[in-house]
Amino acid sequence: MTTKDIGPKNPVAQVGQAVGGYVDERTGAKTGLNWFLFRNIPAETSWFQTLGFAVMAIFGMQAVTGIFLAMYYKPDTTTAYSSIQHITNDVTWGWLVRGMHKWGASAMIVLVFLHMGRVFIMGSYKYPRELTWVTGAILLFMTMFMGLTGYLLVWDQKAYWATVVAMNITASAPIVGPYIADVLRAGTEFNGDTLSRFYSIHMLVIPGGIATFMGIHLYLIAKLGITEPPWAKRLTRLARDEESAKRAAARERLPYGRREVTSAPAVPEKVTAGGPS
Amino acid sequence: MADSQGNGSDVPGNGSGGQYSGPRAADPAPRDTHNEDPEYITRTKFLTGIAVAGGGVLTAAILVPVVGFAVAPTVGGEDFRWVDIGPLSDFPDGQTSSIAVSGPDPEADRRVFLRRKDGTLTAIWNRCAHLGCPVNYSPGGDNYSCPCHGGAYDSLGRVTAGPPPRPLDRFDVKVVDGKGKDVVIKDAKPADRVLIGKPYSIDADQKPFKLHGPGEPVDGVLANLYPL
Repeated sequence: MTTKDIGPKNPVAQVGQAVGGYVDERTGAKTGLNWFLFRNIPAETSWFQTLGFAVMAIFGMQAVTGIFLAMYYKPDTTTAYSSIQHITNDVTWGWLVRGMHKWGASAMIVLVFLHMGRVFIMGSYKYPRELTWVTGAILLFMTMFMGLTGYLLVWDQKAYWATVVAMNITASAPIVGPYIADVLRAGTEFNGDTLSRFYSIHMLVIPGGIATFMGIHLYLIAKLGITEPPWAKRLTRLARDEESAKRAAARERLPYGRREVTSAPAVPEKVTAGGPS
Repeated sequence: MADSQGNGSDVPGNGSGGQYSGPRAADPAPRDTHNEDPEYITRTKFLTGIAVAGGGVLTAAILVPVVGFAVAPTVGGEDFRWVDIGPLSDFPDGQTSSIAVSGPDPEADRRVFLRRKDGTLTAIWNRCAHLGCPVNYSPGGDNYSCPCHGGAYDSLGRVTAGPPPRPLDRFDVKVVDGKGKDVVIKDAKPADRVLIGKPYSIDADQKPFKLHGPGEPVDGVLANLYPL
């Protein structure tokens, strides 16, 4: 038995729901998105928990602006610098797109570290989220490597010598350092292939890696949920109750653990779904 | 296979009541699927092995050439040859001249400071022994200094201050006459040519070592950390 009386009255919304239902029935996209986006989160979340998303948003901006900068940039030792001058001075809004990419790079590094600091200070890396931390650490290395490879592409004196120094720092790592540096700069010294190699790493190799590990990172976050800070009211109440139970057990000369923690329910009566408001 | 054996006797839905009494298919004899025997290679195991091995071979067929292509040409040193930098008369005694020599990259600013003093020629590479920035020569103080991190060297490239772990590297240098024969500088005529060859590293006593990268000490315990 079917009825037409349920669902939205608005025909546009009806069509939207029909299309959504069609797609979801065949792909599970809506179900997946609901699983991914509409999760219960702890009551005491704050703006600090949005830093990771901010990094992802900046990465999206870097990807988009980078794709379009690649339309004008020429990765050759003779043309790289002049093509960037062309982007900055001649191309319509070139100064803007390049500026977004350049400042976005710095912003991404800053936000990555703030995000890491948030996770560290709130203890969010603890069980069962250790592998989220590990993927995040890999993402940190790749982000730093993006900074290194992107810096050279400007191909002015500062970029050139800073990267020479950076490669020689790499080479001064024991045992493997010289090999890594030789592979990165395509030889024992900077040469014509170094720039294009850095360009390829910067725009193809690392972005693919970052996208992959960001996907894993996000999956783990959706699967495990986000944490509340260790100073959350719920946790402090639990700790306090446990402490008082311990004291009561001591008063009654019973070993701790023989007495149940009953003064407060472990789960709050009202589970709030949705954002912190 | 194993779960299909139990449904011989109580098939429901035949008629409106009572036990079905018609002919029945004989229960198939239980087959030995070898699932219990870890040694036995089942078809599934065999095909899984083939798929994994085949996938591995195909992946390797793509990755090995690509990684070799990216890595192999980059390891191994640079080739150096003797380069004529002019007649001996261009380098008067007691003077240090700065000569640009070609490196793998024209923008590398690779220079040789050719110092002629008391009948010896010393060719000092301008690559700082700390992290590879180009050092400057100061004729007034007859010394070298690096703009990046404050490395300072004396007239022979020995470290006087800053972070460099060893003196400045040098190039082989020789003087040849018109027929291409090596001559000692004391006997050389002004028209004889000065040639610059392979670079090498030195320690504080100017003992030669094979060329090291910037930041690598040539002697002491830490030198063992750099096998290249």
